[in-house]
Amino acid sequence: MSGPQALLVAAIGMPLLLLLACLHGAARRCMPGLLWIAPLPGLAAALLAADAPPLVMDAARLRLTLGLDAPSALLLGAASLLWSMAGAYAFRYFGRGPGAERFALWWLVTLSGSLGVFVAGDLASFYLAFAAASLAAFGLIVQDGTPRARRAGEVTLLLAVMGEICLLLAFALLAEAVEGPSLAIAEAVAALPGSPARGLAVGLLITGFGLKAGLVPLHVWLPLAHPAAPMPASSVLSGAIVKAGIIGLLRFLPADGTLADWGGVLAGLGLLTAFWGVACGIVQANPKTVLAYSTISQMGVTAAALGMGMALAEPGTAMAVAFYATHHVLAKGALFLAVGLAAATGGPRRLWLVLLPALLLALGFGGLPGTGGALAKAAVKPQLGAGLVGLLAALSAAGSTLLMLHFMRRLVALTAEDPQRRPAPGLLLPWLGMAAAALLLPWALHAGAGLGDPWQVPGQDPAGAFWPVLLGAALAAALARRDRWLGAVPEGDLLSLAGPARRLGAACGTAVGRAEAVLRAWPAAGLSLLVLILALFGLMATAAP
Amino acid sequence: MSATLPYGVTAAALIALGLFGLVAQAAVLRKILACNLLGGGVFLLFGVVARRGATAADAVPQAIVITGLVVAFAATALAVALALRLHQITGAATIAGEPESGPRGE
Amino acid sequence: MSGTTPGGWLLVFTLALPAGGMLAAFALGGRAAERIALAALGLGVLLAGAVAARVQAAGAPLAYLVGGRAPPLGIRLQADGIAAAMLLTASVVLLAVALFGRAAHATPPGVAEARAPFAFWTFLLALSAALAAALLGADLFNLFVALEMLTFAALSLACLDGRASQFRSELRYLFFALIGSALYLLGTALLYGAYGTLDIGLLAAHARADAPTLLAAALMTAGLLARMALFPLHLWLPPAHAGAPPAASALLSGLVVKAAFVLLLRVWVWVLPPAPAGAAAPLLAGLGAAAILVGSLVALRQERLKLLVAYSTVAQIGYLFLMLPLVLAGDAEAARRAWLGGVLQAASHAFAKAAMFLSAGLIAGAVGHDRVAALCGAGRAVPMAVIAFGLAGLSLVGIPPSGGFTAKWLLLTAAIGTGQWWWAAVILGGGLLTGGYVYRVLAGSLTVPPATAPQPEPQAPGPARVALALALVSVALGLLPFAAFGLVQIGRPGALAGAGP
Repeated sequence: MSGPQALLVAAIGMPLLLLLACLHGAARRCMPGLLWIAPLPGLAAALLAADAPPLVMDAARLRLTLGLDAPSALLLGAASLLWSMAGAYAFRYFGRGPGAERFALWWLVTLSGSLGVFVAGDLASFYLAFAAASLAAFGLIVQDGTPRARRAGEVTLLLAVMGEICLLLAFALLAEAVEGPSLAIAEAVAALPGSPARGLAVGLLITGFGLKAGLVPLHVWLPLAHPAAPMPASSVLSGAIVKAGIIGLLRFLPADGTLADWGGVLAGLGLLTAFWGVACGIVQANPKTVLAYSTISQMGVTAAALGMGMALAEPGTAMAVAFYATHHVLAKGALFLAVGLAAATGGPRRLWLVLLPALLLALGFGGLPGTGGALAKAAVKPQLGAGLVGLLAALSAAGSTLLMLHFMRRLVALTAEDPQRRPAPGLLLPWLGMAAAALLLPWALHAGAGLGDPWQVPGQDPAGAFWPVLLGAALAAALARRDRWLGAVPEGDLLSLAGPARRLGAACGTAVGRAEAVLRAWPAAGLSLLVLILALFGLMATAAP
Repeated sequence: MSATLPYGVTAAALIALGLFGLVAQAAVLRKILACNLLGGGVFLLFGVVARRGATAADAVPQAIVITGLVVAFAATALAVALALRLHQITGAATIAGEPESGPRGE
Repeated sequence: MSGTTPGGWLLVFTLALPAGGMLAAFALGGRAAERIALAALGLGVLLAGAVAARVQAAGAPLAYLVGGRAPPLGIRLQADGIAAAMLLTASVVLLAVALFGRAAHATPPGVAEARAPFAFWTFLLALSAALAAALLGADLFNLFVALEMLTFAALSLACLDGRASQFRSELRYLFFALIGSALYLLGTALLYGAYGTLDIGLLAAHARADAPTLLAAALMTAGLLARMALFPLHLWLPPAHAGAPPAASALLSGLVVKAAFVLLLRVWVWVLPPAPAGAAAPLLAGLGAAAILVGSLVALRQERLKLLVAYSTVAQIGYLFLMLPLVLAGDAEAARRAWLGGVLQAASHAFAKAAMFLSAGLIAGAVGHDRVAALCGAGRAVPMAVIAFGLAGLSLVGIPPSGGFTAKWLLLTAAIGTGQWWWAAVILGGGLLTGGYVYRVLAGSLTVPPATAPQPEPQAPGPARVALALALVSVALGLLPFAAFGLVQIGRPGALAGAGP
């Protein structure tokens, strides 16, 4: 095992090791203060182990593969950085105590899964990591113990398990398509286009991963869960964990033209999601909910870029999409930290430390030239640049500007009344670090990601970059006084339609319960026994020569 | 008409009676008796099997029947013991009614 | 059909050790019974491990001819792959239950011996002997006797508390089991009439698909299904398993139904010709599917914790039957996977369900009742038991990296490989429902009680540790390297000799 390969193992192993250490009482008590350390091997792996030869442990055909290509290294690095900063923020946010310790346990499990999806190279470990990230997030969401948090957690868990089921079935189909016992993702993906169950498998993959990434109509858990979780948890949920869906789509759906038809479907879903998120987001009052809807919208754009890349067989799609998602990891993670900070800060002198970077990040989502967001938008231009799709993408950028300006208004409304209220440095520093990373890292990574010189980007199409921002700002100004619309759409929009389904389910349960009680009577059981003997004999006799 | 037919028919009748009694009767003692009828029928069938085909009686079914009788006796003893305790505690020996099962809110 | 193989004596010891222990315990009384039982069950784990190792190393079943006489007149003991695997599972669960039982049934020095501990240890040994006989027997009539012994021992353990409701539900169990055994015995009579032998190996070589054989198979199958409580023949299981003391429930749900299942496989995979078996297998799997859905749905609606766990058993038994049409589909690779998946499901369910009943007992003991809706605070009172319940639930739902996950994955891929999609849907849907009822218990237990609630009394950690260890084994089964799974294929008809795991 070479050094870079050891880093890959450490990326997953470090959180698990810390988790194991929690068996010891003393280690458990100081764990909240150590959370920031856990993702550091992941960060190191992203920097040093990209494109290292994958680590294959072929123990009697149970192939365990860990590897990192350039797109996943980008995402792994950003996610590790966010997890680390949010971990430091969480320590200041919760302090010590049983609650913080419980939070730390869930945090570590979720972390190992969230980083694991980026390095897993085979179906089994990918599924395991994905399940850990999806299911353990429940513990982060319900941390506050309020009925709202619990409901959000339950909806999340239910949908996460459904997503797992879709993925499990899809993976079984993939494993069946591969000749021989290999479980490597690369081989499964290569065999996918020729598989007889291709349509079903791809549909299940899009459903399972789209659910995690918040694609409409499977996004309903996201605007419930992200606002209900405590600040640091919302930050990693929206920043890092949602990307498990994106990396899944990237890994399993090759953008080489073999799945062009499904690319169109994904692009359509993505664009619908992009506008849906804006439409539902601008009527939300809670800034965290606005951010959650912005995440939905942004993931829609990401999926649309991937879908168009698949449809057009555009080379470099994986890298471009990963770059776009990386910016979102950093910026969205930072903004959630800002919400927690704004509530704890008063007076204009300190508030600008929160509001000014937040404004820059917020406008970055709309593609304000000069921001990291503008670079991200430029990166997916080959996929989303032309024709009707290009117009829709630009309009969604305008929508994002509108949505994020709405977010800024709600954020200002949240700031503390007391002008003397000053934020703790333990909260302020992670926020400033993440904000700086979100603004600067895209510039630093742009050339390395094979996207060219970042300084060329602003000059390429200045008019095309500016008009969505201006349109969004104009719309925001026009809508600024329409506060009576706030709350018109409940959090989790479509979920309010699930009532009849619930009642139907309950009625079915009651009916099954009654039928079961009837079958449990002695005469019924005796009759079943007789019928069973005759049926078995009859069936067997049909096959007898 | 073969010599074994009456035994076969009797065995079938005993089995049918026993099964019916086990399913339809609620009183424990009746169920125990039905069990014994059922067992008797099955053992009789083994006797029929032992006679069939071979001119000399086959020893294996006899061994089986003897072992089976021991098992049936043990089952009867256990059932009677349980029924007696049940009678001592509740004053009745019936297993009718739903013993703490059923869905929520029962 | 060779004679005694090298190492065949191990089988005799496996049988004789608990049987001899039971007699000794009966003769020597309470205090000695505990020591004898713990020693015999501990040795039993070692013996079962040795049997499995010998079978694995030889790549062929171990056999022993009692008295050196060959069937049809002699009696053969045989341990093939599935028997060795289930024997190991059973011995570990039995030892765990014995260690768990020490909390309630120990007789410390200076305390007068009581009846309940004496009965507990003696019947535990009897159960162990009966299980060994049911797994190692190779003669259909001997297997009947073993199953009867198993029922008697299990039933006596289940009635140990002496409550009227227990007597009532265990009597139901006894009567329904007796119907089952009568039907089974009827089938063996027909088979004996047709073939003049009841040895499984000889029957497998000679069985024809004629009317007496098929009728015999139908009767025996129905009888075994009644004993396994496959839906809709499950009337006795929920009250019997839920009403028993935790240790007995763990054995009933974890092991006793599995012994009947191994016997069912003997009839279906060994004795019956493949054509009629394959034709009727979808019916059994269909009932299994119904069991999964109905059992899980009813479990989801249960008020009582132990009834919830018992209905979960009704559902999980259903998974075992899904393997039949997959094994008999005629596809060698799918058959191999389905067989492994089925056996792994049986083993991981044995560990998980035993852990679940033990921890359910501890939870109910800590909060003073077993209403699912009011388990608030259990997580604080018996955290280890709640964790054990959660881990066991993980395996039942089929969340990786648990044994239940691997089992369901194997069944799933076998179902897809043979084009039988519908079973895949049932497996996955059942997992979702299972998650629902496990969540109900965990969410209730982990609710933090109000600050005014009285502090829970500290509980002895020993029993909770046992439950946790069982749950961990159930999860760890999913981490076994696949090479270790080659064991269960040994001796299966149709398994290619020398084929990889």
